[in-house]
Amino acid sequence: MSTTDEDSSGVLRSILPPEQVDRFLGTCDDYGWALLGLGTLIAASFPVLGLEGGYFMTVLSEMFLFAILALSWDIVGGQTGYPSFGNMAFFGIGAYATAILTKDFAVAFPVAFLLAGLLAVTFAAIIGIVVLRLRGHYFAIATLGVLLVAQQVSRILDITGGASGKILLETPSAETFYYLFLGVLVVEMALVYYLSGTRFGFVLNAIRDDEEKATAMGFNTTYYKTAAWMLAGLFTGFAGAAYSLFNTFIDPQTAYNGAWNVELIAMALLGGSGTVAGPVIGAFGLHTIIELVETYAVGWQLVLLGGAVIVTVIGFPKGVVGTLSEYASQMDYYKHGGMAATDTDDQEVNADE
Amino acid sequence: MAATQFVVNGLLVGALFAGVAVGFALIWGVVDIINLAHGEMVMLGGYTSYWMLTLVTGNAEGSPLLFLATIPVAIAVLFGIGYALQRTLVSRVIGTDIFLTLLVTFGASIAIQQLAIQAWSANPRSIQVSFADPSVNLAGIVVPKMKLVAFAGALVLTALMYVFLQKTRTGRAIRAVSQNPEAAALVGIDVEHTRAVTFGVSSAIAGGIGAFIAVILNIQPQMGLIYTLKSFIIVVFGGVGSIPGALIGGLLLGSVEELVAGFISSQWTLAVSFSLLIVLLILKPRGLFGQGAEQ
Repeated sequence: MSTTDEDSSGVLRSILPPEQVDRFLGTCDDYGWALLGLGTLIAASFPVLGLEGGYFMTVLSEMFLFAILALSWDIVGGQTGYPSFGNMAFFGIGAYATAILTKDFAVAFPVAFLLAGLLAVTFAAIIGIVVLRLRGHYFAIATLGVLLVAQQVSRILDITGGASGKILLETPSAETFYYLFLGVLVVEMALVYYLSGTRFGFVLNAIRDDEEKATAMGFNTTYYKTAAWMLAGLFTGFAGAAYSLFNTFIDPQTAYNGAWNVELIAMALLGGSGTVAGPVIGAFGLHTIIELVETYAVGWQLVLLGGAVIVTVIGFPKGVVGTLSEYASQMDYYKHGGMAATDTDDQEVNADE
Repeated sequence: MAATQFVVNGLLVGALFAGVAVGFALIWGVVDIINLAHGEMVMLGGYTSYWMLTLVTGNAEGSPLLFLATIPVAIAVLFGIGYALQRTLVSRVIGTDIFLTLLVTFGASIAIQQLAIQAWSANPRSIQVSFADPSVNLAGIVVPKMKLVAFAGALVLTALMYVFLQKTRTGRAIRAVSQNPEAAALVGIDVEHTRAVTFGVSSAIAGGIGAFIAVILNIQPQMGLIYTLKSFIIVVFGGVGSIPGALIGGLLLGSVEELVAGFISSQWTLAVSFSLLIVLLILKPRGLFGQGAEQ
């Protein structure tokens, strides 16, 4: 979300902004990979340790699901700076694709799952060519419109079961979904983490900071934007593909849930957008709160969501990870001795170059 | 013949869309905010009028005059809500990333919508107005009287707002803030207050139109998003900050929707008008009549 300064020496930095790079959980190094691996091992061992009791397992699966969605949103919203209000369109397409393939065409779930992801990517590519030409307000509203139109179309068609939706009874076990959501999340985190250390990741951030400069540097920003958008579409589509069977029911309201779309943006922002860990932390945190409200104050969760969004945006626009990393870089600056405590990042950055 | 009837219906409803969009355009032009809670102002206006009428008559039915008497109440209430919304929430995110402003108003939209469901249930409601002879027949075209009243009401509200912006001292202050907030502050205009008044005026007109919508269509807590999106389509079409543009855009959108509903199916109206918007955004990103936020 932040922008670098405007002078000419800042051009290189807008391609390689160390401040942003640092926010990927402290640059792409071995510690990050170790942390990711450890977290995966712990999460994967829960069912083996006998914690597979229905409710606990379902809640954890949902948390992984939301983490996938929030992280996918962040690839385009946080890393590239194109805030989408329509990511749930990919989710709905994935969800309906598996529902229709498994129920009406008797396709095996793993095949249907992969096909659904492929369909979501194709859709993302087509939509992306159109909406990624727009910026700011226009992009946000255009994506919101895509979501509403997709929802409306699923209400009209016969193959989607119309407004009443589809009931799916023959589904894999809860444990399968637990590992599936965990697996998709880990693969996505690893991929985003890896990309954050590559030219691809840097160009995405450069587009966010100053798209015109990035274009002037000779990068085909359309290519990078569309690739990021397709990546987001792929993982969101996978999440949807698993969700319809996990939920055993799908209708236009749940498949293209506009409130979820806000929820996952709130998650990414709350944790810290533009980072790998942020959206995941935000998803776990906010989902826990929402789950508690759903249990103890039924019907108020969306009021709470609206409130949470407002408080986050006004109170912590940089999120948990952003605030922490800012604090850390300030501490670092004091340690290595400097002048006044203002404009820390700029001073540091120039010294590094 | 059928097509003429559809177009007439479309123009009648389109004036209401235009009225809502004018308020939306005003905030966009002056405060540079896309108010995603604008549709909720329409909804709240409808409910204000509905409950006022229920308070007086016991059920939401009454004579046309009694209904019209509830409009100023809806306008006043929504002005207060709009003013408060700007002062408490929106003023805190002005000047930050536009995405954050979108998210704050979207958050407000969800919260208002869900509170309305909690308070009044999700059932659609409408106001019944008694006419001895509900429709007039003009050269084979049937026009319900209430639609005519709503059409006239929407035009009057839009015209009042235009006069307010052009002639009054506050209106001039609003235009000054829209052109240059710093210069406006230098000549002694309270920019924050003026922006809040703008939000109030925008919400007030949306609320007044909401009352008319309650008479000719119906109202329910989740109706808002569609009206916000329609306003966006209309404003992009007419050009940001242009009241005549919004008026023409509204009438056109109404006609297109009725034609689609009449010849294809009412289920496709949103998809068609939205696809038109995307095409327009790519061909003419500044709209047909506007050049940015000038008014």
